[in-house]
Amino acid sequence: MAAESIDVAVVGAGAAGVATCWALVERGLSVRVFDGGLGATSLAGGAIDDRPWEELARAATTLRVEPLARPVGAEAARFVAALGLHRLGDEGASMPRVATPMGRFRIARGHDRALLDLSRLADGARVLVPRVPRAEWDADALARAWSADDYARARGFELVSMDAELTMHLGEARIASADLAALHDDDARVRWLGARLLELVAREGRADALLLGPWLGATHARAEALTQQVGVPVGEAMGEVGGAAGLRFEAARSRLFERIAVSLEREQVHAAHLDDAKVELTCESGATLRARAVVLAIGGVASGGIVFDPPERHAGRDAPSGVRAPFRTSLAAPVTLAAAGRVFDVGSSLFGPALEREAWPTDADPGLLECVGVACRGARVGARLFAAGDVIADRPRTFLEAASSGIVAADAVLGALRGR
Amino acid sequence: MTSPGEPVPRVSGRLASASAAETCDVDLVVIGGGVNGTGVARDATLRGLRVALFERNDLAFGASGNSSGMIHGGPRYLSADPEVTYTSCKDSGHIQSIAPHLLFRIPFLLPVPQAKRRIFPLMDAFFEAYDRYQPLKRGKPHARLTGEELVQLEPGLRGELYGGITFDEWGIDGGRLCVANAVDAHEEGARLFVGSTVEAIEHEGGVVRAVRYRDRGTGVGGRITTPRVVNATGAWAPLTASLGQLPPVHARVRPGKGIHVVFDRRLSNYAIMSETIDGRTIFIEPWQNVSVIGTTDDDYYGDLDDVVATSEEVRYLVEGVARVFPAVREARIIGTFAGVRPTLYEYGKLEDALSREHAIVEHAATDGVTGLYSMLGGKLASYRLFAEEMVDLLMRDRLGRPGAPSTTHLRALPGGDRELDALRFARDHGIDAIAARRLVYRHGARAERIGERMKRRASEARTVCVCEPVLEAEVRHVVEHEFARTVDDVARRTRLGLGACGGMRCAARCGAIVAEGRGHAPEVAAMDSLRFLTQKARTRVCALGPIEARQEAIAIASLRSQAGIPTRSRLAVVGEWAAGNTAVVNAAVGNSAAAASVSVDERGAQDGG
Ligand SMILES: Cc1cc2nc3c(=O)[nH]c(=O)nc-3n(C[C@H](O)[C@H](O)[C@H](O)COP(=O)(O)OP(=O)(O)OC[C@H]3O[C@@H](n4cnc5c(N)ncnc54)[C@H](O)[C@@H]3O)c2cc1C
Ligand SMILES: Cc1cc2nc3c(=O)[nH]c(=O)nc-3n(C[C@H](O)[C@H](O)[C@H](O)COP(=O)(O)OP(=O)(O)OC[C@H]3O[C@@H](n4cnc5c(N)ncnc54)[C@H](O)[C@@H]3O)c2cc1C
Repeated sequence: MAAESIDVAVVGAGAAGVATCWALVERGLSVRVFDGGLGATSLAGGAIDDRPWEELARAATTLRVEPLARPVGAEAARFVAALGLHRLGDEGASMPRVATPMGRFRIARGHDRALLDLSRLADGARVLVPRVPRAEWDADALARAWSADDYARARGFELVSMDAELTMHLGEARIASADLAALHDDDARVRWLGARLLELVAREGRADALLLGPWLGATHARAEALTQQVGVPVGEAMGEVGGAAGLRFEAARSRLFERIAVSLEREQVHAAHLDDAKVELTCESGATLRARAVVLAIGGVASGGIVFDPPERHAGRDAPSGVRAPFRTSLAAPVTLAAAGRVFDVGSSLFGPALEREAWPTDADPGLLECVGVACRGARVGARLFAAGDVIADRPRTFLEAASSGIVAADAVLGALRGR
Repeated sequence: MTSPGEPVPRVSGRLASASAAETCDVDLVVIGGGVNGTGVARDATLRGLRVALFERNDLAFGASGNSSGMIHGGPRYLSADPEVTYTSCKDSGHIQSIAPHLLFRIPFLLPVPQAKRRIFPLMDAFFEAYDRYQPLKRGKPHARLTGEELVQLEPGLRGELYGGITFDEWGIDGGRLCVANAVDAHEEGARLFVGSTVEAIEHEGGVVRAVRYRDRGTGVGGRITTPRVVNATGAWAPLTASLGQLPPVHARVRPGKGIHVVFDRRLSNYAIMSETIDGRTIFIEPWQNVSVIGTTDDDYYGDLDDVVATSEEVRYLVEGVARVFPAVREARIIGTFAGVRPTLYEYGKLEDALSREHAIVEHAATDGVTGLYSMLGGKLASYRLFAEEMVDLLMRDRLGRPGAPSTTHLRALPGGDRELDALRFARDHGIDAIAARRLVYRHGARAERIGERMKRRASEARTVCVCEPVLEAEVRHVVEHEFARTVDDVARRTRLGLGACGGMRCAARCGAIVAEGRGHAPEVAAMDSLRFLTQKARTRVCALGPIEARQEAIAIASLRSQAGIPTRSRLAVVGEWAAGNTAVVNAAVGNSAAAASVSVDERGAQDGG
């Protein structure tokens, strides 16, 4: 099979990969992108951060100040606008607040438009939390937990749960939340829901906002349409792992790729061979592709971009076959892995690391699983080989960081290709 | 329900016998909520004693909830002391008739490698002898298999196999067994102090007078007078003895730490025996809806309240089983659990007891303290018998002659009185058949009480934990009737949150239900569930493979995203928060901002009194 040729191949279509593609196209390069799996961006719940929000929240508590939205790079902000999925908080203003299923109102730098931003409600707002017979939506418990959140108390919010008929069929109590969200892609269904919510508001007398589960559309965020119809803000709480927010990201990604004429290959890349003149990618299907440079945006351990694969695996009845690093990238490529500022060199166990000491975060320190990644300088891993997003060792695992790093990678690629 | 801080109301003695002890609050204090402690509490209560039981952590927190979960007939003793095998099998049979719902058959395969072909006939003869005891526990006789038959039955087996032997054992959920005993004792009048540690055993002039205790949640202490104390604290026994100013060696056990590795499903049809590199016998067994590898046995010198498996121990077991069943290497591990055996001490002291599994120390004889006894050793399989022996002795010492005989082998444990058809139950309540089957396994006929809850409030039929699965009604039931106070306690009773997702999807919701049931503030729920999640993570990360590591990374990201990773200092005060006493918390953490920002209600912790 004759290999096709292209300027840049991007592996991975999460926040980092999509941002890289967008920025490369803006810079006039031809791009091909591969993604064969499900990444962190598709699993996340709809809040987006620049830095981990907890750190900001803790600092703000210590200093007794209100956390304010910090600047997002101009190009990153343009990318977010181009993707069209999220709303960013205004720079310098109070940060958006979204409701989490763990019962908190957390700060976020931005959020999926379907999510209700509680920071935009007036003090003392009365927020309705309708009961819907679904496993993830114990409205009574959630309303109780949210009412007790520090922010809700400070703002004097009142969260009340009440009966409501918001699903049409009995079976909708059992389907996955993402499937319920998909039902709301239908305009008629959204209007029906809006009508039910109007009835609810009329019955309740006073309602300043409606907080629902992560069900409002799988391809488009339908919260805005509902807000218009009902006349008070309607929005979702964050969802559990792998819910509607991820589907909406994938839909927004398709729309963006279509607009900028990038084709997404739903394929796993097995290897990237590099020589002086080019990179050659080999895919799962056996297809190959030549490019002048490759950007690894394959994500971290959570996405399967970095695989924990200690030598003790695959040993069958025998002892492990030799000492090697317990992590590898999902595709064969000349990279060095690192974590917490140290590279993995020759190991000292034939089996694997003592993860009970390192895997989970303790206090401020991230655990090994969160920080392991490719060692690189800026976005550059080697000649023709670049990295962006969670795959980079020790980079904070956030959406906006990933997107910014994609833009940095695009610049680095451009510089390298021009330099030759 | 009284809170442990209040004086215990006097209950008029139900026994006619007149003794000085009548003026005590209770006739018997049992320390320890494992099988032995709950077994004694039940037996003694049924024989008319007024009993108080103290458990420092949770029912089945120790060895009883972390064992291999088998009530085996003790083939190990067959050659040295067949009497032990006989009593073990017989008592295994008794447990079966009083709690049939809790038992499940575990057929074992003993593969015999080519290298051991010469002793095959010997093994065969050995199990032939064991067959004679099998009917006592409704076990099937053994079978001899060729190498080929062996692989047909268990295609995952590898190695040069000459043949094999099957034999029959029974599995049981140790946690459920403890709870069943405790609930029965409580319903018959025993008072339970779960979450209260005994701090001192008071004696005066060589006679036991009282114990002092403290609720570990609220920090509130109390005293209860009693003429008798049974120390049934397993591996903690020597520590407990020291609370009575006795030399710990007089209740000495050899603490043997054992760990188990849990897989996400049943990997084999049979339990398979294997050998570790140092020649110890280990096994992989299908157990309830998972497979379990066990176990290690190492002298333990650490903290008994905080026993966790290490990656080294996990590897030791996986290597051992992989020799005959290599598929374990690729299979998905969802967790580990660990406990410490209270093995009878080996040096000198109790030689005669060594051929037995358990012994009672009468501290009247060893230390001149009348009314204090220590139960050492024991097995799930023989807990009932051990408890019976203990109470026989108590009755004799009390009355000077044998008292009423034990009825614990005749009286069904809660839920064991009759069979309930799970499928019918599922239909009647419109719930999933698997959920119904699991519910009936855990609660027997008492699942009906949980069913009634769902009839009263349809919303309680919602699933809280999808993996196990566990319904809301069951969570509420165990909080109201089985002394569960935290998410972890609920997990011990229902296996909630112990599946592949590690509680990510259910801990918060369960925490909310528990807090509501116990009248705690929502922030108590949040911290309780966070504590559960991070604690359980500790038991998983020592055994990660590729898929598990990815799952774990997602769990961390999701926790970060939704709640924030709790810091150690925050978690340290959770216990106090969970109990709901602001004053104590503030004192404990020096009135820090974290504690002060939380207002927790002032209720005491639950006791069954
Ligand atoms: C549950 C969860 C909650 C989160 N919550 C937040 C939050 O609240 N706020 C926030 O800012 N951030 C959050 N994050 C983090 C954030 O989602 C990530 O930092 C960011 O999305 C990373 O983007 P990425 O493009 O680097 O990686 P990913 O989105 O993981 O993309 C990598 C892609 O590469 C693909 N891939 C891997 N190997 C190959 C291969 N060999 N061939 C082809 N394709 C391959 C994968 O399938 C994947 O789609 C969360 C993450 C998770 C998992
Ligand atoms: C790894 C392992 C595998 C096993 N496998 C099997 C098996 O397959 N079959 C079998 O029959 N047996 C098995 N056993 C043995 C069996 O589990 C134990 O012998 C039995 O559970 C001991 O019960 P116990 O009640 O004496 O102790 P425990 O269950 O340990 O209970 C002691 C309790 O006392 C409490 N306590 C301690 N100090 C205090 C205090 N001061 N105040 C109040 N409470 C206190 C503790 O919190 C604890 O809950 C196994 C044991 C282990 C460790």
